[in-house]
Amino acid sequence: MSLHRQPILIPAIVIGIYMIYACGPLLWLVLSSLKDRQELFSWPPSLFFTPDLSGYRMVFGIGEAAETATALGLTDALINSVVISVSGTVLAVAFGTLAGYACSRFAFPGRDDFMFFALSTRMIPPVAVLVFYHVMFSRLGLSDTRTGLILVVTFINLGLATWIMKGFFDGVPEEIENIALVNGYTRLYAFWNLVLPMVRGGIAATAGFCFIFAWNEFAFSTILATTQAKTLPVKISSATGATGIEWAQICAAGVVLVIPVAIFFWLIRKYLLMGMTFGVLGRSRT
Amino acid sequence: MRQAIPASRATAHAVPKAISDRTICGLFMAPALAILILMVAYPFISLLYYSTLNFSILNPAKGSEFIGLENYTRLLSRESVWERFVFTGQFVLATVVVQFCVGVAVAYAFQRNFRGRDLLFTIAMLPMMLCPIVVGFLWRYMFNSEWGVVNYLVTLLGFVKIDWLGVPGNALWAVVIADAWMWTPFVILLATAAFRGIPTDINEAAEIDGASPFFRFTRVTLPMSMPILLIAFLLRLIDAFKQSDLFFAMTGGGPGSDTETVAFRLGKIAFSHFYTGQASAFAVIMLVIIIGLSLIFVRLLTQQGRQD
Repeated sequence: MSLHRQPILIPAIVIGIYMIYACGPLLWLVLSSLKDRQELFSWPPSLFFTPDLSGYRMVFGIGEAAETATALGLTDALINSVVISVSGTVLAVAFGTLAGYACSRFAFPGRDDFMFFALSTRMIPPVAVLVFYHVMFSRLGLSDTRTGLILVVTFINLGLATWIMKGFFDGVPEEIENIALVNGYTRLYAFWNLVLPMVRGGIAATAGFCFIFAWNEFAFSTILATTQAKTLPVKISSATGATGIEWAQICAAGVVLVIPVAIFFWLIRKYLLMGMTFGVLGRSRT
Repeated sequence: MRQAIPASRATAHAVPKAISDRTICGLFMAPALAILILMVAYPFISLLYYSTLNFSILNPAKGSEFIGLENYTRLLSRESVWERFVFTGQFVLATVVVQFCVGVAVAYAFQRNFRGRDLLFTIAMLPMMLCPIVVGFLWRYMFNSEWGVVNYLVTLLGFVKIDWLGVPGNALWAVVIADAWMWTPFVILLATAAFRGIPTDINEAAEIDGASPFFRFTRVTLPMSMPILLIAFLLRLIDAFKQSDLFFAMTGGGPGSDTETVAFRLGKIAFSHFYTGQASAFAVIMLVIIIGLSLIFVRLLTQQGRQD
């Protein structure tokens, strides 16, 4: 590192300009969530004003704000969102870890085809398959249920989880299992007790990504969850009621929604950077 | 399914003492495969089937009539459909190029160690964590031509207010700015991971040899991180091509239908007009494009791997 002696000026300028672009709208999101009707539409737009919490009250359904027709009253949707995205994340990470390990260690026929097939979970535009999910779900009795949405959320993340986890397993030397096998341990033992602890960071990073996409999933949920299983993003989009768009409420909901994800990301930040190499760099270096 | 073979064969080879690798492989692959087959293979086959029918899900009693490739020819002969592809192409190109130039530059700048870097980096990641629908409404609010903050900044700079979302050309750029705002962090994250994966001694060796920073960036850093950048590019390309949430929230496809992306139009055919057969054909066309693009990238990627 001592060799890096170029001025820090250019990187500082690049980061500075980018942070203005990134943070400006974030600041505006927080400010708008605290504005009352008059402040929301004032010209020039105000930076300093008396904060008004009615946006948040509407989101959580507290006080008289909850009586408004377009108030979200998020309680049910909040429970749905937590249950669906947590279960979906756990399942996607678990299945992705297993498949990633198999793809990293066993050269079975059709492995590359499978990896491509897995990536297709990100290729399919939701609107393209929604009709068939709708039909399939009503046949299986999964329409408008949490179980159905958990399945969807697991599916949309499965490909990414498999790819990221394969990358992490590729980074673990195969000798570890070989030594364990020679010493009379089973592969399952080696997988569970030796390899898995080594990719803990990868699991955390994968979970982080899966959680973002699960927590924010909108395209599938808006069609498949009509009443009972409505999640937060679906509820928010319905806040554009007859009285116009409730800007403060939408912004407040955005702030509330991003907090759990941001905390999670802060906790796993160390692993995120290690992990996102999909194994392609590891392979070329070993 | 070729992939399923190990699972079925493995049972015959099972050793009583320890489970064989084949069984483990099969067991480990089974859940992922099952979900993929249920959620991808089944709808995909249905898509192909329904794309040849004149059928509406609203009116199943009317039944369906086999019309061969008529759904495809009807779609592809319509100029308004081609216009959607051109518009989507413009959007994808603009947003992915912006995200990559900005994302790679910022990631390179973040290679420097300075106090508070982790905190800044996490803040820089925040836009990606927001709900897309909220992002759409937030930017629609900010881009409002009368009281939006963007136009306030525009007037501060001495220009007249711009009708951002009411004019198709402007709306395209407005959504590009919003989409790039949301997804540049993803490029930064992957590029940073790629840059950190490059052994430091290579860069130091180049520096001792007197290579300029620019030379090191273009000749060492970029080529060595190319595989991950390609994956990031592919993922962004696919997502941009599928983008409809932002358009839904920001422009609603308007004015008229000038800012409808392909995915947006598909949604309209499927869930406003309920032309299920035609929508299926449209979806197949989209999937063929996406899968074709992906195949090219995967090919590039494996070629890169071989060169190393």
